Amino acid sequence: MVATRLLRILFAAPFFLFATVPQQPREPEKDTTAMLQANYLYNIAKLVEWKDAGMREGNFVIGIIGSANLYQELIKQYSTRTIGKQPIEVRKMPRSAEVERCHILFVGRSDLALLPEIYKRMAGQPTMVVTEYAGALDDGAVVNFVKVQNLLKYEMSMSNAQKHGLVMGLTLKNLAHRVEE
Amino acid sequence: MTMVRRIAIAVLALFWGSLLVAQGDPLVDALRKYQGGDLAGARTLIDQAVQAAEHAENPEAWLLRGFVYKDTYKSATEPQEADQLRDEALLSLYTCIGLDTAGSYKDNAKQAYDFLTRSYFNDAAKALNELNEERALRVFAKFKDASLKLDPKSDLRVREVEFTNALGTVYTKRFNQDRTNEDLFNKAVDSYRSVIAMDPENYGANYNLATLFYNRGVYKIQRINADDEIPTILQIQEASREYFQQALPFMLKAHDMNSTRKETLLGLEGIYYSLQDQESSDKFRQLFEELPQQEER
Repeated sequence: MVATRLLRILFAAPFFLFATVPQQPREPEKDTTAMLQANYLYNIAKLVEWKDAGMREGNFVIGIIGSANLYQELIKQYSTRTIGKQPIEVRKMPRSAEVERCHILFVGRSDLALLPEIYKRMAGQPTMVVTEYAGALDDGAVVNFVKVQNLLKYEMSMSNAQKHGLVMGLTLKNLAHRVEE
Repeated sequence: MTMVRRIAIAVLALFWGSLLVAQGDPLVDALRKYQGGDLAGARTLIDQAVQAAEHAENPEAWLLRGFVYKDTYKSATEPQEADQLRDEALLSLYTCIGLDTAGSYKDNAKQAYDFLTRSYFNDAAKALNELNEERALRVFAKFKDASLKLDPKSDLRVREVEFTNALGTVYTKRFNQDRTNEDLFNKAVDSYRSVIAMDPENYGANYNLATLFYNRGVYKIQRINADDEIPTILQIQEASREYFQQALPFMLKAHDMNSTRKETLLGLEGIYYSLQDQESSDKFRQLFEELPQQEER
C-alpha cells in the first residue's frame, strides 16, 4: 500500500541521522569532548598569569599535539579572541617532542608516548602542559582533564604551575575538580 | 467511468431493478442520476429520499447514498469538503449495514466502508509526509473512529504503531528545524514512548528515541561559545548528561535487537563517548570496525 510505504520511508528517515556519528576519526561536530576541552583551555588561559615578561607580548600561542578536532574547535570558536591584549594563535604541532615555545601545550591521549621527553624539554619553561590521562600531575602536567561522573572536569598542580612560572587564578583553583598543592 | 463505479451501478441496478419502473420516487430518480454520472443531481435526490418516511429505514437508500457520497468525495478537490463528504458516505454505509437485517447489501456496503476507512489512513500518511501533523492527527482519529465503529474489536495496534512512529519522525524533523521549540521535542519523545509502550520490541522507536535524546545533548554542547565561563560549562554538561543517560537504554535495547547494525554500534560509541566513558565507547567502536560489510543489516 502506498500509504504504508510513505510511512515507512518517513519513519526510516531518522535512521540516517546517525550517519553523522563520528567515523574514524570522529566527526568534529559530534566531538563533544573536543568542544568542552576547547572552552576549558580558553577559560583557563584567561585565569592564569604568565610571570615571564616575554610571554605577555605577541600572540598567545596554544599548541596542540594530536586531537585534530580540538585544534579545529579552537580555530573555529576561539582563534579570533584575545587573552588580555594578546591575540590567540592556535598551532597544530608536529607529532614530536621537539616542541616550539607556546603558552599552552595540549598533548592528546593518542600521543602520550611523547610526554616523557616533552616534560623534560619543557622543564622550567613558561609553558603550561595540559594532558588527559590518569597520573599526569605526578608526571609534570600543570592541568589534566579528568572524567568525573560522566562529566569532563580538570585537575591542576600548583607546584607544577609554579615551576613553569604560572600564577593560577583563585577562580580556576576553586572550580577545579582537584588541586594538588 | 471507473471499474469500481461500474460495479457499484451494476450492484445497485440489480437490487433496484424493480424500482426503476416507478416514477416520482426520489430513490429511483437518484439512481438514474447516479447511473448517468450526475453526482450532484443524485446527491440532492438521495438526500430527499432518506428524509422521506418510506425510505428512512430503507438500507437500499442508505447504500445508494453511501455510493453517491463516496464518488462525490473522490472528485472533491478541497480537503475539508472531501472530509465532510467522506464522513457522510461512511455514516450512510454504516446506517445501511445496521438496517440491513437480511444481509442483502452488507458485503457491498462493508467493502465501500473499508475503502473509505483506508482512505483516512492514506490521507494521514500523506499529511505526515507533508509535515502537516495537525491534519494527520485529525484524519488518523477519523480512521480509528470509523474502524472501531464498524468493528469495536478491531486490533489497530499495527496501524497505531506505524502512524505514531512516523508522527515522531515528523516532530523530530520539525524540531531539528527549530531547536528552541521544546514542545516539538516533547511531542517527538511522547510519540516514540507511546510506540514503545505498545510495542516494546520496536527497533525504530527505540533507535529514534535514543537518537533524539543523544542529538539534544550534543546540540547543547555545540552551543557552547567563548562567552561561556567554566561554571556555565559545568551546568551545560550536567544538562547534556541527562540526555545522554536517557538515550543510552533505548540505544542498548535497539542494539540488543540486532547486534550487527552499524548505526546502533556507532550510536552507542557516540553516547558513551559523550558520557566520558572512553572504555565503553572504544568497545563499540571496535565492534563496529570488526563488523564485516556483508553482515550489516
